[in-house]
Amino acid sequence: MATNRFFGLRKPVGRRQRLVSAFGIWAVFFGVWIFASSAGLVNDLLVPAPQKVFATTWDLFWERGFASDVMISISRVVGAFAMACAVAVPLGVLMGAFPAIEAVFAPFVSAWRYLPAPSFIPILLMWFGTGEAPKLALLFIGVIFFLITLIMDHTKNVREELVETALTLGAGRSTVVMKVVFPAVLPNIVTAMRQMLAMAWTYLVIAEIVASTTGIGAMMMRARRFLKTDEILSGIIVIGALGLIFDLLFALLHRWAFPYLRKS
Amino acid sequence: MTGQSTLQIRNVSKRFDLGRGRSVQAVQDISFDVEQNSICVLLGPSGCGKSTVLRMMAGLETPTEGEIVIGGRTVDGPGRDRGMVFQAYTSFDWLSVRKNVEFGMKINGLPASERKDRTAHFIDLVGLTKFADAYPSQLSGGMRQRVAIARTLANGPEVLLMDEPFGALDAETRWLMQELMINVAEQTSTTMVIVTHDLEEAIFLADKIVFLSSHPGRLKEEIVPQFKNGKRIADKEKVVKLDGYSDLEAHLMRLMRQEGRENE
Repeated sequence: MATNRFFGLRKPVGRRQRLVSAFGIWAVFFGVWIFASSAGLVNDLLVPAPQKVFATTWDLFWERGFASDVMISISRVVGAFAMACAVAVPLGVLMGAFPAIEAVFAPFVSAWRYLPAPSFIPILLMWFGTGEAPKLALLFIGVIFFLITLIMDHTKNVREELVETALTLGAGRSTVVMKVVFPAVLPNIVTAMRQMLAMAWTYLVIAEIVASTTGIGAMMMRARRFLKTDEILSGIIVIGALGLIFDLLFALLHRWAFPYLRKS
Repeated sequence: MTGQSTLQIRNVSKRFDLGRGRSVQAVQDISFDVEQNSICVLLGPSGCGKSTVLRMMAGLETPTEGEIVIGGRTVDGPGRDRGMVFQAYTSFDWLSVRKNVEFGMKINGLPASERKDRTAHFIDLVGLTKFADAYPSQLSGGMRQRVAIARTLANGPEVLLMDEPFGALDAETRWLMQELMINVAEQTSTTMVIVTHDLEEAIFLADKIVFLSSHPGRLKEEIVPQFKNGKRIADKEKVVKLDGYSDLEAHLMRLMRQEGRENE
């Protein structure tokens, strides 16, 4: 069939076709947006033109100190996420390696996973007031239980033969965990962290929209009060861009830290 | 061969608990000796418990009855005196070939200079000197098994236990590896116990074949390949051409087939 070249069933597409396709879908998106706003099909107040949104973004950063809001948001995500990892990585690995430890913590952790983190916002505000603490706590709660479960599952999946090999080489329990199980699962831990960091951004915005005077989310809520839709959309774009940048950073970290996973 | 036994298997039985009061008898009342510096091959159809016997020697399983004695001590859990090579690849992917081979010596606290010498020696013995700094993911299956063999031998075990070590390799690689094992046995004077279901492999490698029958695993026959006159010949083609080779092969085939019939 002649269509097979670009449209084969389960045939991988070439690099060029992928780039053109990816660029194309965004071109269509912005094309529709530009057309709709310039042709007056949409209310300019509710849907500002993309060029206006980008101009506003520029203005926010260089004229109105938006960068400090962005830095606050980043530090909240990174701070809370680091705390969550500091607990989840050792605990998840130990739970995956020792069924006795899993038996203690798994019933607790899996129950918490079904409690939506935002439902804690009212009580967190009462406990911690309106400072940084409730935001960090929300992110921490939102991320840690999933992270523990993911890391535990990955740890369980470390092949039994690796553990048995280490045992027959004379390793004790702690050596097996530190020198075999942990390095074996580490690439998957980094992948799990990458996935959960995306979730942390979600909770950050929730925290900042509900109860904050600083940060990207707070800026967006302020903008809403003054009907500045362009600023709201700027906020969305910046959050998206930051998410993407952090995801790329994790991808780079993965590549850099685990060269042995690359073939050839 | 000195005729002195390194490893004694004394009336060993193994029953696996399947839960809900059900259990399966994997091994029933097996006794045999493994002479020092000999190659003992455990042969038998699938389900004969040969791997279970080997795992009990390694200390990875505990006999339900009977005991396994190595150098006068009863086996009680895994230890560095019994190195094990598995059918599945067990290279530690995050370590180079050199670091893999060094692993056992390092966790057992050998001084660095001795480690270095032994590592180089055993990497050379298995013919991987050119690949000492490669990661396992860059190696072929046969080379990965060489890494596992070098790593186990470098740790200086009294007995090398191998569970279908070449089962995952293609025919010509398997052949090369079998010849390698003869050379290794000659050069290191290591006692070896090798599990296989490959008749050719058994005849070529064995100083003694222990044939197990299945369901439950029992000792059927101990066979010394007399036609080799107590010599090890590292050229498989020569062994195949010797008088007596085909008789032994036919005999083992008969044993295998009997088992097959009884299990239908």
